[in-house]
Amino acid sequence: MTIRLLSLFSIALLSFAHADNYELGHGYKVNDTINVGGYFSTEFESNRQNESFTLDDVAVMAYGEINPMFSYLAEAEAVGFYHKNFTDGTEVGDQKFHIERLYGDMWMSDDFNIRFGKMITPIGYWNMEPINVLRDTTSNPLYSKLLFPKFLTGIDINGYIPKTEGMRYHLFGQNNRDLDEEYINIPNTHFFGLSVEKELSMDWHSGGSIGEFITKTSQRTRFFEANLKYDDNQWQIMTEALISKSEYADGQDDYALSGYAQAMYHFTPEQALIGRYEYFNDHHTDYKDNIAILGYSYRPLYPVSLKGEYQWHSLHDENRALFSLSVLF
Amino acid sequence: MKAIALFFILVSAVFGAQYSMVISKKVPLTLISVEQIRDIYLQKRRSVGDQKIIPLNLVGQEPSRIAFESAVIGMGRDRLNAYWVKQHFQGITPPITQPSHESIKAFVQNVEGAIGYIPSSMVDNSLKVIYEF
Repeated sequence: MTIRLLSLFSIALLSFAHADNYELGHGYKVNDTINVGGYFSTEFESNRQNESFTLDDVAVMAYGEINPMFSYLAEAEAVGFYHKNFTDGTEVGDQKFHIERLYGDMWMSDDFNIRFGKMITPIGYWNMEPINVLRDTTSNPLYSKLLFPKFLTGIDINGYIPKTEGMRYHLFGQNNRDLDEEYINIPNTHFFGLSVEKELSMDWHSGGSIGEFITKTSQRTRFFEANLKYDDNQWQIMTEALISKSEYADGQDDYALSGYAQAMYHFTPEQALIGRYEYFNDHHTDYKDNIAILGYSYRPLYPVSLKGEYQWHSLHDENRALFSLSVLF
Repeated sequence: MKAIALFFILVSAVFGAQYSMVISKKVPLTLISVEQIRDIYLQKRRSVGDQKIIPLNLVGQEPSRIAFESAVIGMGRDRLNAYWVKQHFQGITPPITQPSHESIKAFVQNVEGAIGYIPSSMVDNSLKVIYEF
């Protein structure tokens, strides 16, 4: 089954590559209404217990403009498509495709747009570019995957705030279950929030979010997030932090605090060195970690990413090396 | 990148503007800021005031496109390519391209709200100059 799907995937990819309206990293333009593309990533991990290889994030997507006011995006993804553990020899894989995004956009004006359906939650920088090939390290900061739902199945009203210079807002809400509950980090039934982002200059951006969600296990969490980014194409420095307070079904409440600061230096247009420090502290689960990461990124072409990194954890048995190859097509 | 931008600024200062950003004379828009042009060409905004704008770019690596991207957009080729790859994931495509300045001019003359850059020597009575570089 895995081989058959991989063969089909490869044939589709090669067909794209030879099409006239195709450019790597920009997708295949069928017409103004249909653009198609996708991505995949492979990952090799070595830690004290295991060495493993994973074909992860195999995804296809389509998007386009139906008319000047209405556009759409649909994306299906299989996570953990194929996994081999070299230490014990086991092989597993999940070829089931899940709905990662499925939404429509209604453009009313630059100040007022409505996005409806399943979408990436509009919080911060990292969460908005969640796929391996667009990131500069193979790993994600824990902040971006453990403290708020990565996806929203609801409505996001967004646009520029009138009478401001380059300040955008997202007012979002969900009052139902996720479209695909197998495929979300925190299954929830209610999720509301407000994000703002300000373009201070071509190189400087800042922003923040507040929000509340209720999980399927009746945990109510309120959070505040802030972020700052500098990017002049040679140096990129970004930092994000989030603090949350959760009330649990048993009446207890607790805080979680997490954040990271990351610096990247391009010593050639294709190659960069990355350093990141992360802090994570969830009082309720008593999970506390300090993580330092040193990484290297090589992009022979921007949509093709080869990365390597080493992580040092304050939890000593979690140090690991990660390598990945990812492509956006 | 800064050196290229400085070069075009110096050339413009010494010899006058080489290129003009034009729109149909029928459209009431009179001026546009460099920030508005940048946001429109990066597909962050779709209008100026109440006027819906359709940005046009020249296909390939023509000198006028390189000048436009350096002096107006403020981004080099590598940075722009990275930007559009990221936008592909967000479901956003770059502006429409045209094969020549003549076709940009014809498009602007015939489609309300279309804007594009052409050599200043090609500007005539049917077009309105809203920015020069």
